[in-house]
Amino acid sequence: MEQQLVSFLQRVMPDADSVTISGFAPIPGGFSRETFRFDAVVVRNGAEETLAFILRKNPPAVVALLETSRDVEHQLIEAVRAHTEIPVSRSYGAEMDTNVFGEAAMVIERMHGSGKTSDLFNEGPDAHQADDVMRHLCEVLVELHTTELAKLNVGGLLSDPRGVGIDISSWDAYMDSTFRYYVDSYPSLAYDPAAMVLLDAALTLRRNKPRPLPLVLVHGDFNPANFLYQDGRVTALIDWENSRVGDPREDLGWMVAMDGMSNTSVMAHPRDEGGFLAYYNKLTGFDITPEELGYFMMFGTMNIAVPVTNAVKRRAARENEVFLNLYLIQPSMSTLVAFTQLLGYPGAPA
Amino acid sequence: MNTNPGMDGMLEGVIVGITNELIPFLSNEKAVATAMMMQSLLQGVRQTLPVYDSYLVLEHNDMTATLRKAAAALEGVAGEEAARVRERGATLGALADLPAPPDSVEVARAYNELGRALEATIADLDVIQRAGGADAAAADTALDAVRGHLAPRYLRDFSTFTLAGGFVGRG
Repeated sequence: MEQQLVSFLQRVMPDADSVTISGFAPIPGGFSRETFRFDAVVVRNGAEETLAFILRKNPPAVVALLETSRDVEHQLIEAVRAHTEIPVSRSYGAEMDTNVFGEAAMVIERMHGSGKTSDLFNEGPDAHQADDVMRHLCEVLVELHTTELAKLNVGGLLSDPRGVGIDISSWDAYMDSTFRYYVDSYPSLAYDPAAMVLLDAALTLRRNKPRPLPLVLVHGDFNPANFLYQDGRVTALIDWENSRVGDPREDLGWMVAMDGMSNTSVMAHPRDEGGFLAYYNKLTGFDITPEELGYFMMFGTMNIAVPVTNAVKRRAARENEVFLNLYLIQPSMSTLVAFTQLLGYPGAPA
Repeated sequence: MNTNPGMDGMLEGVIVGITNELIPFLSNEKAVATAMMMQSLLQGVRQTLPVYDSYLVLEHNDMTATLRKAAAALEGVAGEEAARVRERGATLGALADLPAPPDSVEVARAYNELGRALEATIADLDVIQRAGGADAAAADTALDAVRGHLAPRYLRDFSTFTLAGGFVGRG
């Protein structure tokens, strides 16, 4: 592996006289990609520099939760770096030849900051930073959602990255084609009839389209575990693999869902601004209502639920033996209950 | 409740996960042995679960009969001990037999089939709702009936099967 990394870095840094790798080790977490940390001593014109890296590698296709392209993620990250002030790791490039690292992979800068975001909540050791971190996180999201789409949708790669027929020619076309994707996908994810609230949600969302907002580049997995922080600031927004063109309310809705699943409270901060949604509305003027947030909690969740629940179904059908795909059934139950609330099921908890 | 995977599938998944994703990364022999003991115990639970209720009922009914037989054998025997055995035969031994529980595999199959029927009903109702008109209101009512059945189920599943603390293993 180290020799392949040296060759890769020499290719993307042609001015390097030599590259030496050390400290290569897997990083726990990162459910959809296999991630490894390593350092590289790079010598250029006699000057030596130690750089910190992460190798993000696809898992084997049979066990993949999300089928996404490392090359698209690389191009997006570099577009975000070029056109925004959003803190993001530099991407050094993608290696799509599976002969090199075993699967498609990318190499990114390893940013400073803590990834143990649970420390910010539930009286954790960094709870005193929560308001400041979430304030900055909200500002970062607002910058993403207000950056001209054409600058970030590099070559149109983010229009329909899953290749499922999403049409972004207008907000209505986007929503209608996405509903079609959700409804048509249901048979491929219904591992058990207990998942039927997802079908009800997809159909109900389609019958009750909300008001339009401009389409933007959404992060696509904006959740309480996908940022690093230090001293009250976000040092990096990470894990851009599910980014795509979408409705900005999807990122907020998915955060609501993941706050519930993760026992965190991102949406309650910054408290002096009345919480994340109020601060987001103040910065954007979008005036997103709690009802819209509930709608897009379901809509955004469905976007992740389709591929992830499909992976659960493949595990239930014993196409693979990945434990994670089985475990996901347990934490996802809170989301199903939240759906019953949002859909107004008689007898559902308020 | 989930029937696919059901409880047996969950337990089997844990056993397989220990083999594939845990044991290869354990460097301590005692920890490996402990992991294998966990697998053994879980496999025992897997083997017991399908017969657990029926064995309890079978043995319950056999124990009442045994208490009656033991009491009958001591007919005419004097003493406090014999009196206590006869007393048990007359009280606990007189308990009615419990009915045999239904076959859990058959229950799961029938349950799954009904679940698929509700699923298909939701899809059919959506077509009527989208068509609009008076029939849409009837479909709304029908959907409410399905939802009214599902709401307590999801809540029950959540309170039974999940743990406080949320998604494990993330930042």
